Amino acid sequence: MPTVVVMDVSLSMTRPVSIEGSEEYQRKHLAAHGLTMLFEHMATNYKLEFTALVVFSSLWELMVPFTRDYNTLQEALSNMDDYDKTCLESALVGVCNIVQQEWGGAIPCQVVLVTDGCLGIGRGSLRHSLATHSQRSESNRFPLPFPFPSKLYIMCMANLEELQSTDSLDCLERLIDLNNGEGQIFTIDGPLCLKNVQSMFGKLIDLAYTPFHAVLKCGHLTADVQVFPRPEPFVVDEEIDPIPKVINTDLEIVGFIDIADISSPPVLSRHLVLPIALNKEGDEVGTGITDDNEDENSANQIAGKIPNFCVLLHGSLKVEGMVAIVQLGPEWHGMLYSQADSKKKSNLMMSLFEPGPEPLPWLGKMAQLGPISDAKENPYGEDDNKSPFPLQPKNKRSYAQNVTVWIKPSGLQTDVQKILRNARKLPEKTQTFYKELNRLRKAALAFGFLDLLKGVADMLERECTLLPDTAHPDAAFQLTHAAQQLKLASTGTSEYAGYDHNITPLQTDFSGSSAERM
Amino acid sequence: MKIFSESHKTVFVVDHCPYMAESCRQHVEFDMLVKNRTQGIIPLAPISKSLWTCSVESSMEYCRIMYDIFPFKKLVNFIVSDSGAHVLNSWTQEDQNLQELMAALAAVGPPNPRADPECCSILHGLVAAVETLCKITEYQHEARTLLMENAERVGNRGRIICITNAKSDSHVRMLEDCVQETIHEHNKLAANSDHLMQIQKCELVLIHTYPVGEDSLVSDRPKKELSPVLTSEVHSVRAGRHLATKLNILVQQHFDLASTTITNIPMKEEQHANTSANYDVELLHHKDAHVDFLKSGDNHLSGSSREGSFKETITLKWCTPRTNNIGRSVLLEQPRKSGSKVISHMLSSHGGEIFLHVLSSSRSILEDPPSISEGCGGRVTDYRITDFGEFMRENRLTPFLDPRYKIDGSLEIPLERAKDQLEKHTRYWPMIISQTTIFNMQAVVPLASVIVKESLTEEDVLNCQKTIYNLVDMERKNDPLPISTVGTRGKGPKRDEQYRIMWNELETLVRAHINNSEKHQRVLECLMACRSKPPEEEERKKRGRKREDKEDKSEKAVKDYEQEKSWQDSERLKGILERGKEELAEAEIIKDSPDSPEPPNKKPLVETDETPPVEKSKGPVSLLSLWSNRINTANSRKHQEFAGRLNSVNNRAELYQHLKEENGMETTENGKASRQ
Repeated sequence: MPTVVVMDVSLSMTRPVSIEGSEEYQRKHLAAHGLTMLFEHMATNYKLEFTALVVFSSLWELMVPFTRDYNTLQEALSNMDDYDKTCLESALVGVCNIVQQEWGGAIPCQVVLVTDGCLGIGRGSLRHSLATHSQRSESNRFPLPFPFPSKLYIMCMANLEELQSTDSLDCLERLIDLNNGEGQIFTIDGPLCLKNVQSMFGKLIDLAYTPFHAVLKCGHLTADVQVFPRPEPFVVDEEIDPIPKVINTDLEIVGFIDIADISSPPVLSRHLVLPIALNKEGDEVGTGITDDNEDENSANQIAGKIPNFCVLLHGSLKVEGMVAIVQLGPEWHGMLYSQADSKKKSNLMMSLFEPGPEPLPWLGKMAQLGPISDAKENPYGEDDNKSPFPLQPKNKRSYAQNVTVWIKPSGLQTDVQKILRNARKLPEKTQTFYKELNRLRKAALAFGFLDLLKGVADMLERECTLLPDTAHPDAAFQLTHAAQQLKLASTGTSEYAGYDHNITPLQTDFSGSSAERM
Repeated sequence: MKIFSESHKTVFVVDHCPYMAESCRQHVEFDMLVKNRTQGIIPLAPISKSLWTCSVESSMEYCRIMYDIFPFKKLVNFIVSDSGAHVLNSWTQEDQNLQELMAALAAVGPPNPRADPECCSILHGLVAAVETLCKITEYQHEARTLLMENAERVGNRGRIICITNAKSDSHVRMLEDCVQETIHEHNKLAANSDHLMQIQKCELVLIHTYPVGEDSLVSDRPKKELSPVLTSEVHSVRAGRHLATKLNILVQQHFDLASTTITNIPMKEEQHANTSANYDVELLHHKDAHVDFLKSGDNHLSGSSREGSFKETITLKWCTPRTNNIGRSVLLEQPRKSGSKVISHMLSSHGGEIFLHVLSSSRSILEDPPSISEGCGGRVTDYRITDFGEFMRENRLTPFLDPRYKIDGSLEIPLERAKDQLEKHTRYWPMIISQTTIFNMQAVVPLASVIVKESLTEEDVLNCQKTIYNLVDMERKNDPLPISTVGTRGKGPKRDEQYRIMWNELETLVRAHINNSEKHQRVLECLMACRSKPPEEEERKKRGRKREDKEDKSEKAVKDYEQEKSWQDSERLKGILERGKEELAEAEIIKDSPDSPEPPNKKPLVETDETPPVEKSKGPVSLLSLWSNRINTANSRKHQEFAGRLNSVNNRAELYQHLKEENGMETTENGKASRQ
């Protein structure tokens, strides 16, 4: 989940903060202090997160495009100038553009807005934006809700009392509401000082940037892992099941399936599964991501040499071309597989299926998947040349069967032509002729289109008169018979117009000496 | 979409009154003459569909689309109305398919134009529609049962699509009033019933249809709230293809669908195989598949205006796969003005169902991830990759569609069985080659592959026993073992030590499964009876002189025995780590590598073991005779003697007699030595 830090650099951020002691702080210093803390946390515990830094006043500027280089972000923090007034809307429009250009509309992003709660004056102020919100057209729509899944975290360099003394808090709350409630407002508890800023950012880190640790299990084989990005809680149906589902911290493998069988299934999200070494306190020792820190390096080296189940699993999944089905919670599953990137690197990945008893129709219900040893005979065949998948749906889809649709004239014409073509090749095509004839008859009866039956009967009678001298005598008999039957059906009387009744070929015998030939 | 939104229940009410038998006045040419046909034939006169036919086939098309995309949980109840209401199906899932509906419609037949129009009315159908909306579906029932005290969360909403020929706007008003009143009445009834549900929300879609060329007597009206429960909209549509188009648009609105036209699909049929003939297909699917276009406002929608109704579809190009690697999948490309190619979607088929996948075409947040080889355990090079691959194949999943029951009669969940099996199969599963001996030995496979099973057959037990005897034989012959030398200095443990390590490990494996069944225990008994343990081992253990022995390489073979080295020994692991920069490739020790334990000819003392047991009386006592004597005496007290050993001569060849016999004869007679 990439992060965009949106930093207010308007003049109001330079307001001094009264702190005991000699040094004078401005609100922007507090903000920079908090962000430094956030960046440091990410650099150690959340290294794979992409972060961008945007500063804004009446204009906005992308200071640092999305990067995992936290030094660059840190440097940019110390190089910020002071500008004019706050103009939040244009900055949020900027965020929309930046995120969509980089990640498209489907990847969830976190937007961390750092401001002092002075929302600007006049045009472009948040008050103005909100006041005109209902009069927007499609071309100048308000940037919230963001056109991508998002969380908007508003970090206020002010305490609650200060914000409540004006309507600032209300306006900011409106912002979260406009983002469909996705987000939260953080304020400083108590006096404005470094310590309280730290505790505010600490809350943000706890909420949004704690790594997701889990235990990957396959029977008795286990490994501690970090799942990145963090799997987000998922709401299945807010009416029936309004509590967001969170994935288990025990990721339990339930079995294996060939890649060809699972094919490319639809997934909610994809995550890296990184083996980690935890010390006794449960802190992470090394994720194996290279770092300058020497201590960490040696810790990594030791961890690198201890056999780890993830590496074994990854290796075998890769070699065998299989995936491991993993249980994420009650009626929630996912799959583990090896993914190689363009270079020679590869990784253990986990994709989450949509929660539910049957996320992939061609596998059937997940709970009904069992070990092959319980089957009477190996469903994969003795030579591994068969597969029990895909399961066929109970009812075929219309495109997998011969459904009659006459909404366009061409559909009807094609069906009539088919009958005609076969009629001209009687008696060789007797079976197909009657099959097509019966299909047309059934549809015409269902649609109450009896005129068609009469019309086709007339057509078959005409065909009969057009038969060449060389034609087999049976052709004339079958055409006459079929025409008669259609006419009877077109009366709509129940004895001839039964839906399940089929016109069968007229029993004829032209061999004359059939007994001898037998 | 909420499961119990208005789209959960759709009631079609189609007018079956006499005027619906009227022609739609749109002609269909059905007698298309083929070019090379005899000249001078006048084609048959075109025919036209009745208002009824148009209505029925359009509503069937609506259902076809809905069933194809939502095979479950989206239900239709079909009602036709004339002098009464005819309800053609129910909410049950079995009734939810086109075949059922078509058969029921055929039974109803077209409206009778000669029936008395006075006693026919669409109202009968509308009343029945409200009634049926109060009926609970199996999904609603299931959800209510599941939610218990939260059962009120299960909504009851629905949609009535009524196709009729109305006389005027006030006639339409009368129909709406009727529906509203009926809902009011039935909600009162439902409030006092366990089997009915009150209607919370009903969307009435009134479609007035009339012959082409006539003036409509009814005006269109967008959706309007008539009461908190009822909304109504009116569509005035000419019959024929206009009606079909209208219902196509409605089904897309009602089920959040969107349209994609796939172009450039190559003709597959033989006659076109070598031509560049292409065709287009329009697909309907959930509109989420267009989420990227809608949000980014990326405007390459190709709209086509047909008959006044603006129809939007997004065009994607078929990319014929060059290789067959992808299987039954085809990538779809976005045509872009700039000429750059973007693959945005994929079509794939599973079991005859077509799925449209959205592919991400923007930057990945997972780019440049750390390789697994850089992380924990990434530097270990001797994982048992192949063995684990075999393990995965054995633990593959397969569907069990028929319910199975446990002995206690409760339902058995196949997936739980799969987990149980994984638990059993991993009770003892060393991850790396240098951590195991037995799994590097072909000779152990017959035992290792069956001991993990939940239950053993007699044949399995026999195979395990054979495996054990075979190992005893190997030990007697002093065959080298694939023992890892990692973590030990010099040439690694001596041969006797190796066998002890091997036996210990085998014991660990078998012990992990003795609670599975009595037969598993028999395997352990056999193992304990046969494995090599020197008689004085227990005593020596007590003296606890392991450490010194370890260092003293000059000690005699008999003393080396004493080194106690359990297989889960963490010391070994530490050893591996301490080796630090030393080449880890060494760990991949295979039987024949020069580093593996000493070649047999270095041990003349044990070589003499191969000579006939007559020597037993003179010279040094062999280890084999030492332990077998001890075992024999111990066993004679505790166990019923093995048949083989009872018939033994000098405690030697007899053990394996039947084994040799079988190997020679290629026939197994329940493992019993029958030949003398």
